Amino acid sequence: MSRATGTTRRSLWIGLVALAAFVGVLLTLPEPPEPVAPETGSALETNFAVVEVLLFDGTEFRPNHDVWIRDGLIHRVGQRLSLPEDLPRLDGRGHTLAPGLMDSHIHALGTALADSLRFGVTTVLDQFTTTDFAAEKRPAREDLARTTEADLFSAGTLATAPGGHGTQYGFEVPTLASPEEAAAFVRARKAEGSDWIKIVSEDGSAYGFETPTLDSATIGALIEAAHAEDLLAVVHVSTLERAREAVSLGADGLAHIWADALLDEAEAARFAEAGVFVIPTLSVTVGITGDSMGEELLEEMGEAASPMQRQTLANAFPTRAGTTEAAIGNVARLHAAGVRVLAGADAPNPATAAGISMHGELRLLERAGLSPAEALAAATSLPAEAFGIPDRGRIEEGRIADLLLVRGDLSTDLSRSAEFAAIWKDGFAVEPELAPGEREFPAAPEDPLLSDFEAGLEPRSGFGWQITTDALRGGTSAAEFRAEDGALVVEGEVVAGFAFPWAGAIYFPGASPLQPVDFAGRTTLRFRVRGDRETLFAMLFGAEPGAGVPPTLPFPVTPEWTAVEIPLADFPTDDPAVISAIAFVAQGPPGRISFALDDLEIR
Amino acid sequence: MSANAAARGSALRLPVSQRILLYLLETRAQFLGVWRRPAFSVPTLAFPVMFYVFFGIVMAPRGFSTAAPTYLLATYGVFAVLAPSLFGFGVGVAAERDSGALALKQTTPMPAGAYFFARVATALLFGVLLVTVLFLLGAYAGGVTLYRGQWFLLAGAILAGVLPFSALGLMIGSWARGQAAVAIVNVVFLPMALLSGLWFPIAMFPDSLQGAANLFPAYHLSQLALKVVALDAGQPPAVHLAVLAGESVVFLAVAALGFRRFAAA
Repeated sequence: MSRATGTTRRSLWIGLVALAAFVGVLLTLPEPPEPVAPETGSALETNFAVVEVLLFDGTEFRPNHDVWIRDGLIHRVGQRLSLPEDLPRLDGRGHTLAPGLMDSHIHALGTALADSLRFGVTTVLDQFTTTDFAAEKRPAREDLARTTEADLFSAGTLATAPGGHGTQYGFEVPTLASPEEAAAFVRARKAEGSDWIKIVSEDGSAYGFETPTLDSATIGALIEAAHAEDLLAVVHVSTLERAREAVSLGADGLAHIWADALLDEAEAARFAEAGVFVIPTLSVTVGITGDSMGEELLEEMGEAASPMQRQTLANAFPTRAGTTEAAIGNVARLHAAGVRVLAGADAPNPATAAGISMHGELRLLERAGLSPAEALAAATSLPAEAFGIPDRGRIEEGRIADLLLVRGDLSTDLSRSAEFAAIWKDGFAVEPELAPGEREFPAAPEDPLLSDFEAGLEPRSGFGWQITTDALRGGTSAAEFRAEDGALVVEGEVVAGFAFPWAGAIYFPGASPLQPVDFAGRTTLRFRVRGDRETLFAMLFGAEPGAGVPPTLPFPVTPEWTAVEIPLADFPTDDPAVISAIAFVAQGPPGRISFALDDLEIR
Repeated sequence: MSANAAARGSALRLPVSQRILLYLLETRAQFLGVWRRPAFSVPTLAFPVMFYVFFGIVMAPRGFSTAAPTYLLATYGVFAVLAPSLFGFGVGVAAERDSGALALKQTTPMPAGAYFFARVATALLFGVLLVTVLFLLGAYAGGVTLYRGQWFLLAGAILAGVLPFSALGLMIGSWARGQAAVAIVNVVFLPMALLSGLWFPIAMFPDSLQGAANLFPAYHLSQLALKVVALDAGQPPAVHLAVLAGESVVFLAVAALGFRRFAAA
């Protein structure tokens, strides 16, 4: 037995040494560099990697992927990428990396672009803004420079009938009345830089009012003209009837889901066959059907919201129409039939806000039966494809590094889509917090004198003056203005036939039309006026200019110049110091008007 | 039969140190017996390494990702423990029974447990050797980097495969006779290795074959190993563990039936 013991002992030692060697090898095998935990706003400039993350590439979820960002572009995507030693790596474990969101329906005004970006919307597809705003903001999408704003693609202005939907917002909108004007209208939009043509098919019937609308022949001619110019045609609709018409006329896309009736499956299949895409904008629809998400989103995300976002989320539509069931049901049927559904929130309509409402829209799309991947695709790859924008919307080599790193697993819980660990635009980390100065509306200029017409119509501060008449609401009153002898001269006609006819001029104190400005500490609206009517009216537009009738006060006028002072507190509104526009108009009895204004002050 | 019972009875009365000695002696004999039989040891050691070098390093898509060398490190690791377990038990047990060596051993004072322990330990030793070589190749030729915990977990997951695979081998060895056992083990071994995705990523197979892979213990073990490096197909680990445990129990039960039949014969 002793020989056996000796041999065995030797074998045992050999075995133990082998085992120790094995453990030794395991202890010395190479490890990857430990990634750093993502911190909000981590400054990595434009060269870094996110490793071991749940990737949503634009169409589907892929676990444990690495994404390498170089010079603001996506350089490599894959599992276990071989990364340079010195490349900063962000630990993606427990996070989801998705393309920056694309909002397919926004009206970019005021702070909308910055508000969008802070909430992960890196590109907006604007469906109607002022031509100037669009022209100013479009160029930024061409470069990879650090920015605080989402990139803008825009229809520019829209195609609507005289006095039709879209003309009521206080700035001038070109209109057309017949099919013969369509080709020239579309060429003019293309010359202005419109990325596609937005067409309004809206008679107000869904909401219980009447408004002039383009006829079928004109819509058809516009679509045809858009296609001739190689532009897409997106048609605003609010009823099934008008959706049907737009599809039969060859529309490329429909804006809004109708809540008046449920389309049947056969019709949904026909829409799919026609290849039309639909931007349901459920966020705004549920605001009209009575299931607004505004409050819920305000509570959840209001902390980081800008004044404009808080304001628009808190607003409510004055009227109710349609049902949420019909709206969601229509989206469900269209999606089931294979129609491309794109996410857009239609901010800043009441109960919505730029950026924030896209996260609500994702939840609403889920309610319509879209999977988390399908809902996210509706906000990333699908808009990029539908609108022919090749450089974003997917996490793919060569595309722009517009990215969201979100805490949690979006494939199982899409409601966490706004829990950002980081947002990158063009590879630069986006500061998610508002700068202290941005927490409130821009402050009023120190000089109380806003406009004195010494240099023509050009104001001393703010965006300046425009004509405002009841044509915005479908009336036929008209006015024009000019600067003459250092004053503003307004001439026109108030025409009967509209419930509350008006005509006059409107001043925007902000950098863009309807951008609210905070006049805190000021108490008095002061100006000089003369005219041929005994009474004119001042209208004060607040933080939410679209909500209802603006507070209005009359003031007396004589043929001689007189100074008028109106205490701001007299205007029946909660916060008269936040002002987005002031209108000076003639109302009441029809007839010619002529008045002059000068030295507008808020002191 | 009575001699067997007497032998087992005497083993129970051996002091613990003696019993440990018997375990070690049998293990040593078993290991050396296998090691010195090049027809077994050379292919067992060479094939996984050769295949990994070829498919995992030389031919794998390289340059900007180590996904392929890492994936195949896990699956060839599983492949590496499959052969010694399956052949050691399937062919070894059948051969020893045919030659009478098994009956002879049963007459000795050696505890029955030592016989199985020796074979499992032998398969484990081959596994440790192969895992060491594969890991070194993967790390230094394939560029694979893993966190320390992952290296240990991966090694552990792979080596744990010795248990279910040995049970499968034992089932074959308990029923088949010598040459038939070689054929049967080969018929099980090669298709299972391929269809479980041990040679090529399972995702390259048609969906029906991917579904069929769920039958094989090698598939479930490889998925556990791949989960360590987060390259698995995404099924919950509990499923893999349950299938492996359930199948092992079935294999052992069928093996027990086979031995009873042999003892009765």
